[in-house]
Amino acid sequence: MRRTFRALFSLSMATMLLLQGCGSGKKEEVPFSPKYDKDSEFSLTVAGSYGNFESLEAEFERFYEYYPNATMQYVTMDDYNNVISSALVNSEPPDIFTTNSYMIGDEKYDSLFESCEVLSDSSVGLDYSCIRDSLIRTTDSGDVVMLPIFTTSYGMLVNMDIFEKEGLEVPTNFSQLMDVCAKLKSAGYESPVMGTDRFSGSGLFNCFVYPMFSYNVIKNSDKVDALNNFDSSSGELMRPALERLYEFVNSDCIDVAKCQEEITDEYDSVIMRFFEGDVPMMLATGDVVSGTAKRESKSDAFSANPFKYRFFAAPAGDEGGYFINSVSICFSINKNSRNIDMANEFMRFLISKKELDNMAGLKRLITPVDDYSTNELYSALEDIPDDRSFTDKETGLLDPAVRQFRAAIYAVGNGEMTVDEAVSAYGNIPEE
Amino acid sequence: MKRKLILAINLLIMGFILFFIIRYANTKAEESNENEIIAFEKMTMTTNQIIANYLEDEQHLCDIWANYINRSAEDGTPMTAEEAISFIRKAKISSEIEGHLIFLDSSERGGISTTARVSDPSVYTVSYAKINIFDNIESLDTMNDVVCLTRAYTNPMNGVQSIAFLNKVNVFDKESGEQKEGILMRVVPLSRLEQKLVILKGEYENVEISIVDKEGNYVVHGKSFKNSNFFEYYKSYNVASSEEYANVIQEIAGGTGTMTIKNFKDEDCVLSHTPLETMTTWFLLAYIPAKDLVVSRSIDWLLLGIATLGFLVLLIFNSIVMMIYNRELSEAAKQANQANEAKSNFLSTMSHDIRTPMNAILGLNEMILRDSHDNNIRMYSESIRTAGSTLLGIINDILDFSKIEAGKMEIINVDYGFASLLNDLVNMVQKKAEDKGLSLKLDIDRNIPMVLYGDEIRIKQVIINILSNAVKYTKQGSITFSVHANKIQDKPDSIMLRVSVADTGIGIKPEDLDKLFVAFQRIEEKRNRNIEGTGLGMTIVQRFLDMMGSHLEVESEYGKGSVFSFELEQKVVKWEPIGDFQEAFKRASSERINYQEKFTAPDARVLVVDDTPVNLTVFASLLKRTELQIDTAESGDECIVLFRKNKYDVIFLDHMMPDKDGIETLVEMKGITDTPNIGTPVICLTANAISGMRKMYTNAGFDDYLTKPIDAERLEMMLLQYLPKEKVAIASENDDKEDNELPNFLYDLKGLDLDAGIKYCGDSEDYLFALKTYLDSSEKKAEEVEKYWAARDIENTTILVHGLKSSSRAVGALELGDFAERLEKACKNGDLEIPEKELGDFIIRFRQLAKDLEPLNDLDIE
Repeated sequence: MRRTFRALFSLSMATMLLLQGCGSGKKEEVPFSPKYDKDSEFSLTVAGSYGNFESLEAEFERFYEYYPNATMQYVTMDDYNNVISSALVNSEPPDIFTTNSYMIGDEKYDSLFESCEVLSDSSVGLDYSCIRDSLIRTTDSGDVVMLPIFTTSYGMLVNMDIFEKEGLEVPTNFSQLMDVCAKLKSAGYESPVMGTDRFSGSGLFNCFVYPMFSYNVIKNSDKVDALNNFDSSSGELMRPALERLYEFVNSDCIDVAKCQEEITDEYDSVIMRFFEGDVPMMLATGDVVSGTAKRESKSDAFSANPFKYRFFAAPAGDEGGYFINSVSICFSINKNSRNIDMANEFMRFLISKKELDNMAGLKRLITPVDDYSTNELYSALEDIPDDRSFTDKETGLLDPAVRQFRAAIYAVGNGEMTVDEAVSAYGNIPEE
Repeated sequence: MKRKLILAINLLIMGFILFFIIRYANTKAEESNENEIIAFEKMTMTTNQIIANYLEDEQHLCDIWANYINRSAEDGTPMTAEEAISFIRKAKISSEIEGHLIFLDSSERGGISTTARVSDPSVYTVSYAKINIFDNIESLDTMNDVVCLTRAYTNPMNGVQSIAFLNKVNVFDKESGEQKEGILMRVVPLSRLEQKLVILKGEYENVEISIVDKEGNYVVHGKSFKNSNFFEYYKSYNVASSEEYANVIQEIAGGTGTMTIKNFKDEDCVLSHTPLETMTTWFLLAYIPAKDLVVSRSIDWLLLGIATLGFLVLLIFNSIVMMIYNRELSEAAKQANQANEAKSNFLSTMSHDIRTPMNAILGLNEMILRDSHDNNIRMYSESIRTAGSTLLGIINDILDFSKIEAGKMEIINVDYGFASLLNDLVNMVQKKAEDKGLSLKLDIDRNIPMVLYGDEIRIKQVIINILSNAVKYTKQGSITFSVHANKIQDKPDSIMLRVSVADTGIGIKPEDLDKLFVAFQRIEEKRNRNIEGTGLGMTIVQRFLDMMGSHLEVESEYGKGSVFSFELEQKVVKWEPIGDFQEAFKRASSERINYQEKFTAPDARVLVVDDTPVNLTVFASLLKRTELQIDTAESGDECIVLFRKNKYDVIFLDHMMPDKDGIETLVEMKGITDTPNIGTPVICLTANAISGMRKMYTNAGFDDYLTKPIDAERLEMMLLQYLPKEKVAIASENDDKEDNELPNFLYDLKGLDLDAGIKYCGDSEDYLFALKTYLDSSEKKAEEVEKYWAARDIENTTILVHGLKSSSRAVGALELGDFAERLEKACKNGDLEIPEKELGDFIIRFRQLAKDLEPLNDLDIE
């Protein structure tokens, strides 16, 4: 209950903040100008759980143009979620560290957030107005202690060359999907849509219908509490998504067994299978897309026959696809940093449309700023109307409710439950 | 052009030197770079040793802990986990270092730490469940490395990046009541290891050190190394095939070495790698941008820049010096030109000044020759003509040379009769040869074509020079003049003339042959000082032949004679052969005895203007027999008066006159319209005979020019050209034939040279008279000689023989004259042996000639 309360409180505070931000309107971005002496010598460490953070390292290089004597380092921490709280107060604390939106409201991370610099504090001098307001998270007290760097979504990678070759348009609603899949099937594509059959958020069923379900939840916000509290009747809210999923997996669009056989994990295998070049649509998250750049050269098939690909919202709805935007990673500043001023200075540099776009572009994730057009890979998201574009924060769903939904679609998608069974079992559906 | 060439050569040399410097500097830099790389590699190995020592030390401390704990177990009093940790807590000195005792078989890979968790000081338990560091070292027993070490990881107790040294310990398990195996970890902050790497920074400012495990994962992560894995980093920024990529992995795992890689800025970097000595799974990577390691090329460029600048300064300096020298040279050349001009002026003046009196001398002498019948006077006059001609020849040689030197001599080809050319040559030389008692032998190819195309004047000049030289340098014997013609195979319209002059003269020493063609240089100056000449003759010959595409060949034997020859290609205009030239010449010679005017023109009127009265006299005298009406004027003004008043057919106007010279006078004349002489040809009389005269005078408005001393024949030819034809009556060749006829028997006398005799005597009439006198006095002279010789009156004998020498030569008995000369010399020298032997013979030959001449007694000679 306490967690629920906290979540609701933070949501309301965020809404208040948003209204404030919106009221003041978006400002024209001012180019970064260094606040300190160019010759300042300092070193900053950014800690995170990413094994590689090349896009951040690229920003280090750009930051060196302003502070050539700076030494910036990214450190991958083992067991990040458990260790970061200790790391922030140890003898060699990181200056900046990555956080996730799910950490807010989780008492496990209370000490972590206690170590965070309040970024909304005017003394910090950080202007984060370029970031989409709906992505900003706040603490219970309304402080902004983390700022999104990357966001992600659920949708599908589309092999544009296949569509061009077959003379087809990328489907934008479910009936078009059925039609296109039928044509692709007859053209020899055994499973026009593929994905990884996993329980996780990256799983193909989740990518296909979770945005649709979230949309339905937002439209029925009065039932969110019931969902979060596992009221048995609230499972009905899942029905439209589950029926659409059932329809989908039993159509010519997808061969689930083939997916299970050929895609063995939820990341590397998804990308490598897509790069084989014979999958018109691969259900995937933005996080999976972020791994494509490095793997292009690792795929012999793609190296031999490269093709154009883009990310689209999965066309699950009758009217069209839904774009649900989730924060992938945030940056926070350790207020115990030995170089707190320079850590704030780096964040001042980084939190700008230009740098965030650069980072997102390099990482192949969705930029948190209000313009997708700069990254061709995600440019199709621009076409989705505002009505069907929202953030996961707006659903008000708590993690347990989300996990029950995933359990339901996993069971229905794999034929282990009927739609009715899943709806009625909500709250008690076995999870992985 | 030359200046540009010099500049280009200078720049070329500069370029070459700079190229050499660059090459040399590059080679040196490459050597230096190699040395730097080797030094860098050595430094890496030194660092490796330091790290290895450090790791060994840390491992040793870990081993001490483990040994103590294990000894308790071995002694049968094993420590519990808590006791072991308690012992370590006491044993460790540094607060930064922790001891973890982990039991891998526990569900959470958990254990106890010497230090409490930072985030919760009450917690000492530690879990490595989510920290994957034991995968490669779980079989601790099989590890052979001196150091047993984890990768860099995050210490779960404090979140500090650390490494841990491991050893196996046996402790007492309270739950099971038995000993169990655990892993003792000496956890050291990574920063301690990093501090050991600082050593390299002192030497190389931008060096980055990393330590990677065999998978390439960073243990120590250098600032510039991106990604979490070195091999990923390499692949991200270096274009490499999978094979090359595998080679890089293999090379790094293979041992110590150096390679060049690209960093994230696409810069070339030197990467030195070496496996850590104490471990087989860690590798030390030292990386530095190549530009920081290799010798800065800016030094080379500085050197190059200085060298280039130096060369440019040198070039500019040299150019300035050259410019100064050139100016000086130009000034000197200007002065030389002025001097040359002065020389030309001098030559012109000299030519004028010598030719003017020569005109009078030779002109008046010509009159003497024409009018005098006195043999002695004619003989003296003849000598004057010869000397005058020689003097003129010398002047002409100097002037020709001056023309050649000035580059103003031109070859002008015209049609010419070859027989006529030969006639002129032989005429000019024969007299000289005869005068020296030399025999001129002609060997003329009868098939030489009649009319050829070439520069007749220059050819004549060449041959006459050679012939004159032959005569000059031959005391006795003969001169053989040969001309032969051969057809040229490839040129059907041309022939190759081969001209040679062989003499029996003094010859030339081989070492003197080179001097032959040096201007003003005379061979054996001392010996030949009495031989007239400027030393220019052969030089001029050679130059003329050069201009005509030929060259002179000389074969000579000192003391015996020389052969001068050359070949000359000439176009043929008329192929008709000249026939037997010797015969034709002999006949012509006998026919051409005295002067005969070429025409008469009693109705024609000429005006001659000259400031020297004697020249006017000469001019008028030379034309006396043409019966021309000749008016004279001594100045330009006087000329103008006559020019306005009388109608003239030709006007001869001297150039160099005081007050108003010939050109000024001509200009004035051209401006006069009230004159009957509009269109009257005006011919310039000039003693200037240097190059460019014709152009100068024709430009000035003269119709032609005539050089002084006036050559009577040229004068008459010129008049024939310019006088109105209707006023000219050409003289008949037979007009004086009767006067010129000699009795036929004289032609058969071998000892008599009729031409020479006629020349001595002036004409055939006088010659016959001289022969008659010679005949009449012959017996008396012969007797007197015999009488004086019988009395051995040497003095009177010599006088008589001298007289016979002169008189014999005067009548053309040249051989007898030479005979007399030899006897005379012998008598004078007191060498009586010769007259003793030969005088009788001389008298016999003298009487024989007289006898041969006796038919003259039958003729009416007065």
